[in-house]
Amino acid sequence: MSEQTKAGATITVEIWRGREDGHFDSFSVPHEEKQTILDVVTYIQRRIDPTVSYRFACRIGMCGSCAMMVNGAPRWTCRTHASKVLKDGKIRLQPLRNLPVIKDLVTDMTVFFDKWQKAGGRFEPSQPGSQEFAEVSPESKERAAASAGIECIGCGVCYAACDVVAWNPDYLGPAQLNRAWTLVNDVRDADRKGHLAAVAVDAGCHACHSHQNCTRYCPKSLNPTASIAGLKRATMTAALKGDL
Amino acid sequence: MVEITRSKTDILILGSGGAGLFAALHAHKADPDLSITIAVKGLLGKCGCTRMVQGGYNVAIAAEDSVERHFMDTILGGKWLNHQEISWKLVNLAIERIHELENDMGCFFDRNPDGTIHQKAFAGQTFDRTVHKGSLTGIEIISRLAEQVWGRGIHRMEEHRAVALVPSTDGKRIAGVLMINMQTGDFHMVQAKAVMIGTGGGPTMYKFHTPSGDKSCDGMAMALRAGLPLIDMEMVQFHPTGLVAGEDTRITGTIIEEGLRGAGGYLLDGNEQRFMHEFDERGERATRDIVSRAMYEMMKQGRTAANGGLYITMAHLDPKMVVQQFKGMVDRCRDVGFDLVGGLVEVVPTAHYMMGGIKFDENCFTDIPGVFVAGEDAGGAHGANRLGGNGVANSTVFGGVAGDTMAPWVRRDGAFSDPDEAVIEETISRCLTPFSNNSGSVTDLRLRLYDLMWEEVGITRTAESLNRGLAGLDELENDLRSIGLADSSRAFNLTWHDWMNLDSQILVSRAIAMAALAREDSRGAHFREDFPETRDLETSANTVVRRDGDAISIDTVPVAFTRIRPGETLLAEDAAD
Repeated sequence: MSEQTKAGATITVEIWRGREDGHFDSFSVPHEEKQTILDVVTYIQRRIDPTVSYRFACRIGMCGSCAMMVNGAPRWTCRTHASKVLKDGKIRLQPLRNLPVIKDLVTDMTVFFDKWQKAGGRFEPSQPGSQEFAEVSPESKERAAASAGIECIGCGVCYAACDVVAWNPDYLGPAQLNRAWTLVNDVRDADRKGHLAAVAVDAGCHACHSHQNCTRYCPKSLNPTASIAGLKRATMTAALKGDL
Repeated sequence: MVEITRSKTDILILGSGGAGLFAALHAHKADPDLSITIAVKGLLGKCGCTRMVQGGYNVAIAAEDSVERHFMDTILGGKWLNHQEISWKLVNLAIERIHELENDMGCFFDRNPDGTIHQKAFAGQTFDRTVHKGSLTGIEIISRLAEQVWGRGIHRMEEHRAVALVPSTDGKRIAGVLMINMQTGDFHMVQAKAVMIGTGGGPTMYKFHTPSGDKSCDGMAMALRAGLPLIDMEMVQFHPTGLVAGEDTRITGTIIEEGLRGAGGYLLDGNEQRFMHEFDERGERATRDIVSRAMYEMMKQGRTAANGGLYITMAHLDPKMVVQQFKGMVDRCRDVGFDLVGGLVEVVPTAHYMMGGIKFDENCFTDIPGVFVAGEDAGGAHGANRLGGNGVANSTVFGGVAGDTMAPWVRRDGAFSDPDEAVIEETISRCLTPFSNNSGSVTDLRLRLYDLMWEEVGITRTAESLNRGLAGLDELENDLRSIGLADSSRAFNLTWHDWMNLDSQILVSRAIAMAALAREDSRGAHFREDFPETRDLETSANTVVRRDGDAISIDTVPVAFTRIRPGETLLAEDAAD
């Protein structure tokens, strides 16, 4: 057992309170051996200050509702073990960066999902109503590229990590472009051109500076930077062919 | 007087799981001019349980499989309590729905190396018919459905909690739903011609449970308050292996996947000794109900580990195989501090799914004109036990059916009616109760409910335990009404919602306990120590509970064997035996 999980040890937790203009409240929480950041916040709401607001749903890393800034880094709270992120016995929690704050640790994710649509993030059927499954080899190049990015759960971690979003609020965002790339590679989709056109805009894939913060912080180990690079190439090729 | 904002929509859908999203998409497709609204307690598609589906989707599409075989597996698994027309529709429409998910919505299910669709084996079935996307099938389904909904002008009310089905002034039909905007705490009355309940059940009143944290049986509680009957509420499915790490971590209760036992995992007692062979010759690979009961028995005998649970271990198996086959599970365990590959992971049986629910028919009508239901809130498809892989099939099949039914119904029979203001006032007054009380601990109350349901209305039951359970629920109900909240602000007040969660959970817990008391035999998920045998299948009956004033009334109604009677089969090869 590590030093920090000795009986009676406590963690100092600073939590953002209010909206954009707010302040930090500090709490002392018992440190348990099995304790995620979500548990730390839950303890405070249940045992110390019932007015603390946060968002969560599935508890196990499937819904992407609970992400927030943990000691400055965007993370899922449900799958982040407290011991791993403690700095000098302290944890500072803030709402997810680059999104409007509703209250305390809760952000408004509307813009995130609106951009998903703007980036063309929706399958366009080529065989609507078909009662057959398209034969697609899982080994094919296109399918491998689509599969590499498809398990995104829309948690907003990459969006919070991205400096381009911070500089340019119109930028479509890494998760959104990553989804577009999976559709461009989906041989069953009917509108490859439309998907490319949607991301070839000013604040689209070409606005990415390849800082790779999205890839660094993605809790699913996806690589949105690589997806965006793929979109840059595909849109260039399409433009040269006169398809855009 | 509390201010209420008001709005109107043709169709109001409660919940954004497989049922809610499919209902919206089908209603929109059938009649794009209708105004359709989805209201959900979290963010659209990001809460609830469809998203958490790991296993997959049962569907008879292989050449050697048949809908008759899928139907028989479902009826035999359900121990003859299923509503047979609902089960029949489930297995038939699952074929259409899985193709719709793949070809219209854009889900990409796993393929065989030759590019054809892959179907895996799942417990309790005579054919490998489970379509899946790795072990993250639910994420693929809900992510693709949400994208389709976002793009279609379907109105979203996110972080809106439904608190009452409000009847028309003459009481003859639905007028709409009273909601709370959780972000502001304000009340909002949505008038609607049709309302679909798809909030997704979820037995979260048990000490150990798997469902998403937002779930609190609100749909079933609202149905009871509106006078709708609920069937077979005693049928609560327990999954044998949920993580246990103490009451202060939300990870407690979450699922450790079934495949681990299938792959050779051992269950051990507190002294690290295997025990399953004392109960069943199949050992760890016995069915969910048997393993859960054996584990519960061990726990009663005190042969437990540090947190009162037992252990699962894979340490005697090839670590490479474990990491490869169960990567998601291994990662999750590691992130929260367990070593699934080489260590002991403490587990307990955990409440997983409610087979019972609101009485409905195969077109999703309920007993109140204008109220429809689909998904886990609806009872009948699964009988006394649900097969793994039939859950997401059920929600998506009947969500679509509800959409298909509601669109023409709204044109033909739908009308806006004036809501019964007395019901609105009464509901607001009930919801605001804790703000006028002195404070107390909602958390302590919830822990009492967890323990009570686990011990008295849990995996094994007796008349005595159930009566103790009912008495305990009375006490909890009284205490809930007198407890207060420290905060007077209603904006994003989670503790207030915890209080309302308990209000729903206690009411639905009563329904479970009353139904369990009425069923004096053991079958499927329901085990009575004082009636351990399954009675004559020919006289099988469904339990029906209703709210009657402040009490719950109970009735039983014989199962209608509309397609097949106990002892018969739809399968030619079995009939010839």
